[in-house]
Amino acid sequence: MFCSEKKLLEVERKVKANDREYNEKFQYADNRIHTSKYNILTFLPINLFEQFQRVANAYFLFLLILQLIPEISSLTWFTTIVPLVLVITMTAVKDATDDCFRHKSDNQVNNRQSEVLIDGKLQNEKWMNVKVGDIIKLENNQFVAADLLLLSSSEPHGLCYIETAELDGETNLKVRHALAVTSELGADISRLAKFDGIVVCEAPNNKLDKFTGVLSWKDSKYPLNNEKIILRGCVLRNTSWCFGMVIFAGPDTKLMQNSGKTKFKRTSIDRLMNTLVLWIFGFLVCLGIILAIGNSIWEKQVGDQFRSFLFWKEGEKNSVFSGFLTFWSYIIILNTVVPISLYVSVEVIRLGHSYFINWDRKMYYSGKATPAEARTTTLNEELGQIEYVFSDKTGTLTQNIMTFKKCSINGRIYGEVQDDLGRKTDITKKKEPVDFSVNSQAERTFQFFDHNLMEAIKLGDPKVHEFLRLLALCHTVMSEENSAGQLIYQVQSPDEGALVTAARNFGFTFKSRTPETITIEELGTLVTYQLLAFLDFNNIRKRMSVIVRNPKGQIKLYSKGADTILFEKLHPSNEDLLTLTSDHLSEFAGEGLRTLAIAYRDLDDKYFKEWHKMLEDANTATDERDERIAGLYEEIERDLMLLGATAVEDKLQEGVIETVTSLSLANIKIWVLTGDKQETAINIGYACNMLTDDMNDVFIIAGNTAAEVREELRKAKENLFGQNRSFSNGHVVFEKKQQLELASVVEETITGDYALVINGHSLAHALESDVKNDLLELACMCKTVVCCRVTPLQKAQVVELVKKYRNAVTLAIGDGANDVSMIKSKRTLTQWGMLHTWSPRGAHIGVGISGQEGLQAVLASDYSFAQFRYLQRLLLVHGRWSYFRMCKFLCYFFYKNFAFTLVHFWFGFFCGFSAQTVYDQWFITLFNIVYTSLPVLAMGIFDQDVNDQNSMDYPQLYQPGQQNLLFNKRKFLICMAHGIYTSLALFFIPYGAFYNAAGEDGQHLADYQSFAVTMATSLVIVVSVQIALDTSYWTVVNHVFIWGSIATYFSILFTMHSNGIFAIFPNQFPFVGNARHSLTQKCIWLVILLTTVASVMPVVAFRFLKVDLFPTLSDQLRQRQKAQKKARPLHSRRPQTRRSSSRRSGYAFAHQEGYGELITSGKNMRAKNLPPTSGLEKTLYNSTSWIENLCKKTTDTVSSFSQDKTVKL
Amino acid sequence: MPQMKRTPQDCPSRLPENTAVKQQQLPACRLQLSATGILSGFFATGVFCLGMGVILILSAKSSMEIEINYTKICASCAKLRENARNFDKECTCSIPFHLTQTMRGNVYMYYKLYGFYQNLHGYLLSRSNSQLLGTDVKDVETCAPFSKSHDGTPIAPCGAIANSLFNDTIILSYKLNSSVHIQVPMLRSGITWWTDKYIKFRNPSSSNLSSAFAGTTKPPSWPKPVYELDENDPGNNGFLNDDFIVWMRTAAFPTFKKLYRRLSRTQHFIEGLPAGNYSFNVSYNFPVTRFQGEKSVVLSTLTWSGGHSLFLGLAYTVTGAMTWLAAFSMMAVHLKLKGKRFSPDDKVKL
Repeated sequence: MFCSEKKLLEVERKVKANDREYNEKFQYADNRIHTSKYNILTFLPINLFEQFQRVANAYFLFLLILQLIPEISSLTWFTTIVPLVLVITMTAVKDATDDCFRHKSDNQVNNRQSEVLIDGKLQNEKWMNVKVGDIIKLENNQFVAADLLLLSSSEPHGLCYIETAELDGETNLKVRHALAVTSELGADISRLAKFDGIVVCEAPNNKLDKFTGVLSWKDSKYPLNNEKIILRGCVLRNTSWCFGMVIFAGPDTKLMQNSGKTKFKRTSIDRLMNTLVLWIFGFLVCLGIILAIGNSIWEKQVGDQFRSFLFWKEGEKNSVFSGFLTFWSYIIILNTVVPISLYVSVEVIRLGHSYFINWDRKMYYSGKATPAEARTTTLNEELGQIEYVFSDKTGTLTQNIMTFKKCSINGRIYGEVQDDLGRKTDITKKKEPVDFSVNSQAERTFQFFDHNLMEAIKLGDPKVHEFLRLLALCHTVMSEENSAGQLIYQVQSPDEGALVTAARNFGFTFKSRTPETITIEELGTLVTYQLLAFLDFNNIRKRMSVIVRNPKGQIKLYSKGADTILFEKLHPSNEDLLTLTSDHLSEFAGEGLRTLAIAYRDLDDKYFKEWHKMLEDANTATDERDERIAGLYEEIERDLMLLGATAVEDKLQEGVIETVTSLSLANIKIWVLTGDKQETAINIGYACNMLTDDMNDVFIIAGNTAAEVREELRKAKENLFGQNRSFSNGHVVFEKKQQLELASVVEETITGDYALVINGHSLAHALESDVKNDLLELACMCKTVVCCRVTPLQKAQVVELVKKYRNAVTLAIGDGANDVSMIKSKRTLTQWGMLHTWSPRGAHIGVGISGQEGLQAVLASDYSFAQFRYLQRLLLVHGRWSYFRMCKFLCYFFYKNFAFTLVHFWFGFFCGFSAQTVYDQWFITLFNIVYTSLPVLAMGIFDQDVNDQNSMDYPQLYQPGQQNLLFNKRKFLICMAHGIYTSLALFFIPYGAFYNAAGEDGQHLADYQSFAVTMATSLVIVVSVQIALDTSYWTVVNHVFIWGSIATYFSILFTMHSNGIFAIFPNQFPFVGNARHSLTQKCIWLVILLTTVASVMPVVAFRFLKVDLFPTLSDQLRQRQKAQKKARPLHSRRPQTRRSSSRRSGYAFAHQEGYGELITSGKNMRAKNLPPTSGLEKTLYNSTSWIENLCKKTTDTVSSFSQDKTVKL
Repeated sequence: MPQMKRTPQDCPSRLPENTAVKQQQLPACRLQLSATGILSGFFATGVFCLGMGVILILSAKSSMEIEINYTKICASCAKLRENARNFDKECTCSIPFHLTQTMRGNVYMYYKLYGFYQNLHGYLLSRSNSQLLGTDVKDVETCAPFSKSHDGTPIAPCGAIANSLFNDTIILSYKLNSSVHIQVPMLRSGITWWTDKYIKFRNPSSSNLSSAFAGTTKPPSWPKPVYELDENDPGNNGFLNDDFIVWMRTAAFPTFKKLYRRLSRTQHFIEGLPAGNYSFNVSYNFPVTRFQGEKSVVLSTLTWSGGHSLFLGLAYTVTGAMTWLAAFSMMAVHLKLKGKRFSPDDKVKL
């Protein structure tokens, strides 16, 4: 949008630092941004142009133009222009207010201050005045004003940390580092002011992760890459200041280059509506042609003589040409079949529904003071048609809070709460938690309900002490003291945080660490352990160990890891304990807890020294370094002594289980897409009842190559069908045949519950075209699908796959930046006021969990609320109602307009096809916008078939929406037939009655004006009675609107037919006295009454029989409600079943590789913490490599799973 | 429409208000018609419609109507009128008929036209209400193609409707005995709507009617100007002429009848029209054969429900019968299913 304004395509950019004059000759864009579309002058032309690009508006404009041709004009100009102007004005006002906000936010952004180096001094300058080539100083937590080349920073090595959430949605900190030569400049203003390097780089583009350029300074050239660039929209973090040189400004920045045109989501009803409107146009053309042919024939046979009799000059006109003109005239007359008010009304109804969502107190989360929010107002009814829900895990299903729940130490479980009789009970508020107040270091929020553990510690149980010591020693946590002197842990996996915090509360407080030592406080005494080796975690080892020397000189290896792995490394003497502990582990796993096994080993000095030497050799080795190190780790981590196991709860959000159960009863399939590891994901699947032990099978697809994945998928499918066949032996052949026929039929024949777990790697292969269908078929037959370790992109791909091939309505829900890809696909208004657009992928509807980690998901979402459990209400209540109301509205609306318009068609046969309207022109103008709009709007906004409680209690009520039953092509045809029938009754009953009738006073009755008034009155009454029948929930608003509409009709009628208004505008209101005269005739009222009875009775009969013969669930419910006035809701919630403890590992540990190295290198420790020992030398020795390593690892992990991120506890 | 404004973060409480509208808890009655309700409604409607039908039929039967089509009877006149050049030649035609029964009460005389399309779009528009209102006699803007004569003088009354004014004169005479024919006294007033006569149509204000229309010319098909329509009665002349006003109230369908005269119930005719021999003396001016039209004259008495039309009565009867039929079949279906249906205590099958 912005780059189009550029006159020349830039091929290469050349920027000289601190030299505005030099840079000016290239005419690079400055840092001012425009996201607003209009200004005062351009608003009208541009906005009108945009509006008339919409098909509907253009169509009405076309009609308006047709009406200006006198030969064609069959309606006066105001019948079209009044509604059109109304609609256009409303939209224009809305667009104008939107643009006002954009202007405001542009201004706000453009006027932000930043410190710019001008004339050798740092000066405050508005963002919009920043020029390419300027040097800017940034401070911590400031937004970056333009795309900068990092020159120097407060951190060593010219490092700086940035958060790129605004750009790519990642909340992890990313490291950028300056060139060594520029980082030397430091904060020296005079030197910076003299800096005159020239950057030659690529032209502005939208690739966020690529940059190539060269810096030439002092006769040397330095290559530049993305690592040295800070982009506009990032936030500087953990870096007190940095300097950068502006490379791209304003519209040229990568952020702005990424914004583009807005793409709106359309609901399936929208699409259906468009199809139907096309059908109607076709129908209209058919009617027009019939009438045009009729006109030609009539002109030939009757019209010619008739017209010449009247000495009509046009008498000679060609009958075919007359037919042609008549065609267009009728197109104008009949256009009200698709009234412009349809589109406006639909929008109004949706807006109303959105407000209901915003206002719902039952979706208000008081904890975070966040109400639900409908951020898009155009998708509501689609919420009633969801078939697939794609959910993120962390922050959505879970709270991302890990709590240490239980542990098994030396064969004894701690943490189980027992009542007086010794039975296990659920933790209740009544139970007193362990009091940690004696421990000054204790974390206040930690709660533990079993006093036995505290007693065991007090008694000095060595195993218990060793267990807690291990927890305090074996981890990658960094400690910090905040200003209040409180110990703060910086953890990179929340599991570790939970474990270390637990140890801390039980008196084994991890205090601080250096690369060489770990200091902990053991029950009040400070003990410093020497850290001899750090055996880092990785996903193959699934464990981590530390080797420490305690003050007594003993060397110990402490290890924690997956039970499956660790149990193999145990010393044979642990046999008994192992059985006991693994029983405990199964129990923990059964409760959905995440478990780790804990073990230690005493090492003797000599052995360790030998091993250590070998390790050092391996470290310096060039070939097969990793393999050798792995072998050595393997070597030392054996003959372990089991201590026990920990169980950490990944706390579910409130009401997740109920919501999941209820949604699956509503036949909504829930897929969990998470960046977590397979174990974690499976674990949470069990925890929230998506996976259960009574499932027939859980297929796990975890192949590494395409072939493996294909094979696994094939096996799983075979398994599925095989098992299924064995269930119903007799029908094998029959079923097989069916299976071949249709995938959907196959779906029906599958009995039993299956689940599919697939990881990111396999998914990458499975999403390839040839396997895709297998995957889809398999996945759709499974009750639950869990995709783990998926990247944000893959999340979007999975959603896209289902959306495209299943043709189902999907909803994606997530809280984090990594969910943006699946949620988004519409513009997001960031706090920058910029319109971001990503590729139009993602689910039909995106839901963001607000108040969690940042705002990215919320900003990209269509709906947002604070808790996953509100999804149930959003879909089952709001979605269902919206869909129900919208369908009812559409049915009625089409019916009404067919009934209204088609009388012109019938009248055509009696007026020589001369395109004479039946009604008064004013009536045609007002019918849709005044006489009948409000009752149907009230129905569309307020109607309820069953109340919200019942909607929640009977999730099955949701299914008509998924099956598209309430409004589809068939329903439309029924509405159309209904409308046609009504129009027949409306026309022919008065026709018959008027044909040979006379008024009570002997005056003739059958004049055109009386006929028009009779028809109009009957029509208004008939459609009002019809809406009264359709409205199932009569609120006071409905009463007011329905009665009010009829009253309005009569008052306007009498006003327009009054003497006064005729005296003023004799040509506009020629119906003077008509209402008075006609509506005092008994005979006319008899006609109106008969018309009403004849058009309404068949509908009532039809509906009665339908409810009697084929009652829907909601019919039954309503009947029941009526029968039992005090309907007590049936709680269909199934009791939470305790899962049988099968042997399933509960290992799930969110941890990344690479932090061990970071710790032993000491890089992430502040200089003051570093002891002036050999450690530092080692640091310097390694310094070149570790940054690259960290960068590499961070980007690796970021791209694969950004879930596990550094969290401050 | 895209996005709604985000609620401001700084507002004191973000808890939505607990009002009935916002929580969608508006007190409401649910329209849930019970089977008995619907069925009794159907039966009641059926009874009403049948009853109304019978009453309407009876009342229509009680009125009398005589229609005499004189297109063929006066064929020679019709022939003469086919040529427009003969407009100034008079042609009369007498149509004798016998009334077997006395027509009691008020008797109305109508002329009825067949195949005359007064509802053509162009025809309907071709009039000037402001001219007819007398405010501006020369306002002929909307009257195409009959707005101005060849020399540019505005036509009054302008337009196709006025131009095609029905101009037959029909006189009903009663054969008192074999030699004495008396003209049946007819009223030419009170045949228009009050609003038409007193609001919609006004003569331009001037001392003299002919001077009021000065500067205008008569419509091409008219033999005499508008201010000579009824020179005897100034209240019935010019735009205020009843026959003119009746004609200007265009008919909805190509076949229509318009009120022409009312019986003045004096002398022999106090009771109505006595049985006997009558004849219509028509001065035949209005040509219809050129467009295959027909015209007739109608004598009719009225009842409370209007004229002699049976349609409404029959339609009510049929509707009533259909409603009953529907009600019976619905009841049958309902009763048959009743056994299978759940009682309120049953759990809804889920």
